[in-house]
Amino acid sequence: MVLAAFILISSTALFFFYLQAACQRALNTRFEQEYFRSIVNANRLEFLSLRKELEEYGHAVDYGRLRMTLKCDFLALTYLLKNAANVNQSYSRDESLLMFYFRALFVIVAARRIFRLSEKKAVLKLTAILEYFANVVGQRVSQYRFGNLAPSDYLLEL
Amino acid sequence: MSDSILAYGLQYGGYILEFAVLVLILRTGRWRRWMGVSLYLLLLLSVDAVGRPLVLHKYGVSSTQYEYFYWLSDVVLTLGAFLLVCSLFRRACAGQEKIWDMLLPTLGAVFALVLGISLATLHEHYKNLLTIFMTEFQQNLYFACLVLNTLLYILLQRRQSEDEELAMTVCGLGIQFAGPAANFALVYLAQGNASFQALYQYLGVFCTIGMLATWGYAVVHVPQPAKVASKERSPVWASSALRS
Repeated sequence: MVLAAFILISSTALFFFYLQAACQRALNTRFEQEYFRSIVNANRLEFLSLRKELEEYGHAVDYGRLRMTLKCDFLALTYLLKNAANVNQSYSRDESLLMFYFRALFVIVAARRIFRLSEKKAVLKLTAILEYFANVVGQRVSQYRFGNLAPSDYLLEL
Repeated sequence: MSDSILAYGLQYGGYILEFAVLVLILRTGRWRRWMGVSLYLLLLLSVDAVGRPLVLHKYGVSSTQYEYFYWLSDVVLTLGAFLLVCSLFRRACAGQEKIWDMLLPTLGAVFALVLGISLATLHEHYKNLLTIFMTEFQQNLYFACLVLNTLLYILLQRRQSEDEELAMTVCGLGIQFAGPAANFALVYLAQGNASFQALYQYLGVFCTIGMLATWGYAVVHVPQPAKVASKERSPVWASSALRS
């Protein structure tokens, strides 16, 4: 009985550990260039300024704005992932896994807030996921030519 | 109705993904580096997509034959996964024969320990072979694989290994082992509660899909290490010409 309880607790912990490790390794993928900047500028995404704010002050000034910013950027980027220069109009396996990871981290941020623990590390991970998504979209868009449109012009027309 | 649709969706999605990852490995020419993974996928595919449906079709879902075949094939799959972890240890210790010589008996001892504990349980519960014994045996075997896999992950981290493919393979296997191990422990603690047993139907497939997604990512996105040309000795005629 004790052994089974030990296995249950440690296996559950290790399940989440491996899920997180796989997602973090996927996020460490290096891109040829910083594609995300053009996507952030074209779509007026705010996660970069949020990250800067966190790195400077150690915590977000306004928690409500933080949640809203992350949520809006996530929705915008997942829409672009599905529709911008994507012939299949669907998410790939790793994108789905990272979207699941984002949602799980989002819940963790809220839980940490309730228990008055620092949410900085989790929020930085959330911005890293958004940066990855923006890089993927930027890379895809840069590989296609849309007449005389620049990638940012194409995105503005979506 | 919706439950069965979800179960079938997960089941067939899993088969397609197993086949897709296997084809991906073969098409990208990585089957030599991924030999262990390819063989494991082949075993998974032949048991999941061929063996079990055939027995199910012949004997029916409520037959004893199907029940025995299901659990025995599950044990074969877990043993296959154990051998895969051993092969990954071998890959991690490539060029370090001393560490491998030390690890090999340890891996054997772990397997013997799991078998010993499980046989002791068999002696106690030989009347409940398919309920208590199989649950405990699977739980122990999955957990042993999980612990070994975690040790391998720690080894890779400590050695700051740059073999990203191997790290992703280990992460995928971790997902595959941890979910079912926790589920089996839960079933054992709940004394074979039917709803927890039914959960394995979903959790097992969900974890397999997680593992396959991670492996698929590793095949598609992790670049192959560049082949370093070995420094060959110049032919005899060339060296003699240089000397003259």
